[in-house]
Amino acid sequence: MKNIMILFLGLFLATSASVLAQSETISPARKQAIDSLALEKVKDLSKYISIIGSKETQFSEANRVMDRAEELFSPGAEMGVSSINTNEIAYYKVRRYFERLMALNYDRVNITWYDIQYISDLERQPDGRYVGVVTVFQRFEGTSIETGMNYKDTTKKDITIYVEKKQTQIAGRTIEFWDVMLGDVRVTETSA
Amino acid sequence: MRIVTLIFAILIASISIVSGQGIGSPGTIKDDGKFAASTKQLNQFFRRFNGEESPTDGNVRYYPGDKDYHSTPLRNGFLKILFDNQTSSVNQDLKTQFSDSVLSPNYPKYLNFHREGWYSEVQAIFLYKGKRETATIILKIQPEGLGYEWVIDEVSFPPFKDIFNKPVGDSKDFLHPLSHELGFMNLRRAFQDSKRPESFTESSFKPDYLTLFLYEMKQNNLRYETVTDVKFHFFQIEGWYFEVQQFNRPGFNTGWLISNLVKLNPGDKETIQKYIYDQN
Repeated sequence: MKNIMILFLGLFLATSASVLAQSETISPARKQAIDSLALEKVKDLSKYISIIGSKETQFSEANRVMDRAEELFSPGAEMGVSSINTNEIAYYKVRRYFERLMALNYDRVNITWYDIQYISDLERQPDGRYVGVVTVFQRFEGTSIETGMNYKDTTKKDITIYVEKKQTQIAGRTIEFWDVMLGDVRVTETSA
Repeated sequence: MRIVTLIFAILIASISIVSGQGIGSPGTIKDDGKFAASTKQLNQFFRRFNGEESPTDGNVRYYPGDKDYHSTPLRNGFLKILFDNQTSSVNQDLKTQFSDSVLSPNYPKYLNFHREGWYSEVQAIFLYKGKRETATIILKIQPEGLGYEWVIDEVSFPPFKDIFNKPVGDSKDFLHPLSHELGFMNLRRAFQDSKRPESFTESSFKPDYLTLFLYEMKQNNLRYETVTDVKFHFFQIEGWYFEVQQFNRPGFNTGWLISNLVKLNPGDKETIQKYIYDQN
């Protein structure tokens, strides 16, 4: 059902694709539709992160979810991670970031998300694609039964979104639609 | 026709579901207002400064024609929270003068993402000849192709600072004014005998550190490691300079905020730019 809705959303965006390609600005209504599509992708990512990080997820299932999560990203996307203790950023390929998340040595992991998000304006790149940033906040809680260690942090995730015009064939007709891919993600530990 | 109506109905339903759900439902944590108050992106700094979003959570973007778009009371409220009010030494009187200037009824002033007059200063670590060194990189926005891009305008790199140290006065070597009569055979003084060949350059000579930096990178003498700090400098508001930095700390006064504010007198702009670019 969700995929059908995304398809409809894509088709809606397709109806005004030719106008968008020629103009330098995106109308508020179209921007809202693109924002919704971007938020869907970010919600998928947050859901996948929660599954990968959960200790109840079996290894084979986590790998399958990692494949799905990777498909949300454009090739070469990286996670840039920094903590409160250091201002230097460590960079991981998306897959490597998920693998590190899966390998965390806690007996119980709880990943939740705050009900606040922020979506930037869309800016056009030299190649004609549009780029934006979605900001979300994640709460991580890991508990180790053996050591009694309980680790908590809140991170801000600034997620790049690329908005690009694509084509598909439906009943022999070429339909243009706007798709959203995720790009580099900046992960910053907050003091909250 | 019915199908189109159905598609629109589902589309509108899907949009309202998205905005109502939040990112991580179920199990979403309710923000106590701190993240809503935080200026989360520089994009939001622009929107708030110009009065282009709703005051509480920023979820509603205002566009030209909307009632509150660029509204003075909205901007006045935002301006108060766009300053670092905890650690900055900017006094209240200066902030008030700035607000009065920005919100002038006859000549209100706005920030423009695509216009010149603002740039970024980035601190980044490089491995240079086996040693970790910090470079200061100045980046600015420029039009390119179908859109815009950030480009490197200048770089300041401490290891380059002492390479070019042109002597002045009596201690400066030179090529005498009749060198041309000897077919410049004395060029050996500049290129062979002297340890400071820059002595033989014209008075206005200034080393191009960015070219040198890129050359060293191409020679594999420089390797990029990471970014450690980012700040922004704004000269877009006539008669004023301000600096924007990110504040990651507990409380409500967080995110991208004005950390420094200067009222410009004649010549001040050039002095500040010279200081930021650090090309001497």
